[in-house]
Amino acid sequence: MNKFLSLLKKELREMLTAQTIGMLIFMLIMMYSMGGLMTRSSEEAQEQSGRITICDLDKTEFSESVVEFLKQPTADMTNDVTVFELESDDYAAELNKLGVKSFVVLNKGFTDKIMSGEQAEIIYVSRMTSLATMSNMNVGSETAVQLISAAVKTALYTQKVNEGALTEKDALLLEAPVGVTEHTIVNDKSEGVSQLLLYSSLYSRSLFMPLVVYIMVLLGSQTMINAVSAEKIDKTLETLLSAPVSRLHIICAKMLAAAVIALLNAAVYMFGMNNLTIDLTGDLPDDMGEKLRNLGLVFDLKTYMLIGAQMLLTMLIALSLAMILGAFAKDIKSSQTLLLPLMFVTIIPFMASMFTDISGLPGTFKYLLYAIPFTHTFNATDCVLFGKTNEYVFGLIYQIVFLIVCLAITVKIFTSDTIFTMTEHGAGLFKKKKAQTED
Amino acid sequence: MSETPDVVLQVEHLSKQYKKGVYASRDVTFDVKKGEIFALIGPNGAGKTTTIRMIATLLKPTEGDAKIGGKSILTDPAGVREGLTYLPDEAGAYKNMKGRDYLRFMAEMYAHTKQQADKFVADAEKICGLGDRLNDKIGSYSRGMTRKLLLARTIMPRPLVAILDEPTSGLDIINALEIRRKIKELASEGMSFLLSSHNMLEIEYVSDRVGIIARGHLLELGKPQELIKKYEADNLEDVFELVVMKKDVTGW
Repeated sequence: MNKFLSLLKKELREMLTAQTIGMLIFMLIMMYSMGGLMTRSSEEAQEQSGRITICDLDKTEFSESVVEFLKQPTADMTNDVTVFELESDDYAAELNKLGVKSFVVLNKGFTDKIMSGEQAEIIYVSRMTSLATMSNMNVGSETAVQLISAAVKTALYTQKVNEGALTEKDALLLEAPVGVTEHTIVNDKSEGVSQLLLYSSLYSRSLFMPLVVYIMVLLGSQTMINAVSAEKIDKTLETLLSAPVSRLHIICAKMLAAAVIALLNAAVYMFGMNNLTIDLTGDLPDDMGEKLRNLGLVFDLKTYMLIGAQMLLTMLIALSLAMILGAFAKDIKSSQTLLLPLMFVTIIPFMASMFTDISGLPGTFKYLLYAIPFTHTFNATDCVLFGKTNEYVFGLIYQIVFLIVCLAITVKIFTSDTIFTMTEHGAGLFKKKKAQTED
Repeated sequence: MSETPDVVLQVEHLSKQYKKGVYASRDVTFDVKKGEIFALIGPNGAGKTTTIRMIATLLKPTEGDAKIGGKSILTDPAGVREGLTYLPDEAGAYKNMKGRDYLRFMAEMYAHTKQQADKFVADAEKICGLGDRLNDKIGSYSRGMTRKLLLARTIMPRPLVAILDEPTSGLDIINALEIRRKIKELASEGMSFLLSSHNMLEIEYVSDRVGIIARGHLLELGKPQELIKKYEADNLEDVFELVVMKKDVTGW
């Protein structure tokens, strides 16, 4: 008899629980889903960078040749170039009219500058719609400058070589023939600032707002599940529910206490993360604050209240769900497992909101995410800052309806005998035979 | 359901069916008078706890009703809770609370005024006899200490009926004796008790009347000595064996 083998088998049986397997499956699904989302976002960003909408205000033979060069495929990519006529200086209106995310303008005098050996300025206009990382990476300005520079280099080089007049000044200019002035549009307001700089200045909030929601949901739920399951396992719940006290008061007191603990945790994390992220973002231009204000990208009282409303709803939904799940607890071990479904539905929208603009996802992905009530809170900052009013309102209504349903189920469980019958007789889920042995 | 003046708990045809055809408790009828100690005895899985939980308004009966102080568990469960306290089998308490704080917390659930709560706590402190240990966290208590604390909490509001499920289970002889004496003492002062136990000898000692329950059915009802005489047995344990083994119980 191999005693070691027996011991090993026993340890594996103890450690390889349904909880462990559940966690592994969860991680697999999460990584697969997130991988899919990130690949898609990355491909979209890549595709976006090769899509150039350009206006040639210079209208010279040289500038036209630059545009023609842009259209020619390179070894690793083919650019989708659309030429348009800029009708006004209202860049937001022009973007709306074109229905694109960005465009480039070759200014009047572009050719003259190049021919006189000076760096020519191009204008790059883009629309910012989200604080998600992928939405603000590869926004196109760098790619556009690189492509136009390459086109200018080729055109200039060809022209000068053909003329047999390539000077030393021309050779220097060929190193960086084009400079860029960036304009970013947010909610039809325009500012002369790059989207990447805006993203950097809002980085701390874009990072810690979802993190705070995530921590709040998980810690609140964990606290609640522990509280309900401990009361059930220790039978203090039976004592409480047989006492002359309103069962609604019991539910509300539990939810409020768990919410306070969760908010306390969130506040500590928020404070810590705020300090941490300020250091990470480093120094920003002095006029950045004014530019953010002009674009409406400020976290004022109204913004905090709107985001706070969804945070509160998310907290209440999470606590309510945790109360329902806690009622299924049979022992301490099972109470830990019960957090898994909540972790699952929290971490997916959390990660998605960090990396991609949820509202820009394709239908199935988007609606699956929207079905998770927490998604709307992770997406709330984007909705409020970038004027996605319909999505915000839909999210708020959905969360309210979801909360009402959750509360109704919670109240039903705690005011009926379901709380005592749902695990023992599993509401048909577990231990169907237990009724026969009920003492 | 008619009720005699000294009856504080009246149980009539109480049944609980968890799934079709399977009854945890079926057609249970008995009453408990003022100052009486009534015990439901039966083996594990007999239906004692289910019956008690229905009376304590924790489970809804499938059929039948129970009244405490004239208030029905079906129509006025909140009113019923005013008249009862319940000590579940193997119950715990909030481990991070100090003993005294726990008594205060529970007193506030039952009291209508602060003075009343103060009185409840003072009474409970005397009943449990834990002295200075009441200033310690419940997590540091032994099983016997916790049980005494819980018993004190159950008794302190002087309910019409105190329901004690296996009140001495897991306790050593000394602690169990103390608890039995306390129950008898309080009953002599007019408090009614509904006990559940599978310890026949304890029940024979402490209870005024017993109901023998098995497979959800109340098979026999009477004073311990009367039942012993009726079945020509030596003790209640023998009575129980005779009743459970000989009766033909349907619905199992």
